[in-house]
Amino acid sequence: MTPRVRKFALTAHVISSVGWLGAIAVFLALSVAGLTIRDAQMVRAAYLAMELTAWSVLVPLALASLLSGLVQSLGTPWGLFQHYWVLVKLLLTMLATIVLLMYTQTISYTAGLAAESADLRELRNPSPALHAGAALLVLLVTTTLAVYKPRGRTPYGWRKQHEQAVSQP
Amino acid sequence: MTDSPPDPDARADTRAGPGRGLTTSTPRWVKVFGIIALVLILLVVVMLLIGGGSHGPGRHTPSGDAGGRTPPTSVTEGHTPPDGHRR
Repeated sequence: MTPRVRKFALTAHVISSVGWLGAIAVFLALSVAGLTIRDAQMVRAAYLAMELTAWSVLVPLALASLLSGLVQSLGTPWGLFQHYWVLVKLLLTMLATIVLLMYTQTISYTAGLAAESADLRELRNPSPALHAGAALLVLLVTTTLAVYKPRGRTPYGWRKQHEQAVSQP
Repeated sequence: MTDSPPDPDARADTRAGPGRGLTTSTPRWVKVFGIIALVLILLVVVMLLIGGGSHGPGRHTPSGDAGGRTPPTSVTEGHTPPDGHRR
């Protein structure tokens, strides 16, 4: 990648990743509101807003973060499997995206209950808050990895480095 | 956020010191990370077993046909998903 393209890709990755983190914080606030607020209309509104947030913000940003991360690692000398921090970040991002895509079905189901004036006892559920809390933790770890870039090459990374050293005496 | 392409490991992981030689082993932070991940995975598995396996992809399907939670009939009959949010 040329420096200009690399900067653009990095900007896209930072925006999507940090945006995803912020959207999860919003989702967590909504899920806590759904558990604690007494007003029935507000509780239903919280669960409906959770579905909207999930489909229109969380899923697009998660996919954008994963995709732009792949482009960044493959388009720079870091590589995808050469450094432990890149590998760990990739695995965590993939895990968070897969769980999110699966969990959207539960979110939609709960929003359906909220739209149909179901019993609040049936509606209130700690699951969204637990999932959002775990997701927030995972993304805080990935962000920290991205900033600190802890050292350590994978065995594959060492082989690649050795091959490059041999080919460029 | 793989900015500044570099070779950060050239210095750190090839530390040559007294009695040290070339260090190409797995870094300590990766080992700690792996142990924490293993503990968390075990914790989740134990929680799922305690919960009678009522969590998982099947639980996330509204029909509950994969062995998960089945919503009340009154709910499933009348529920129409919001437009534009279906795949």
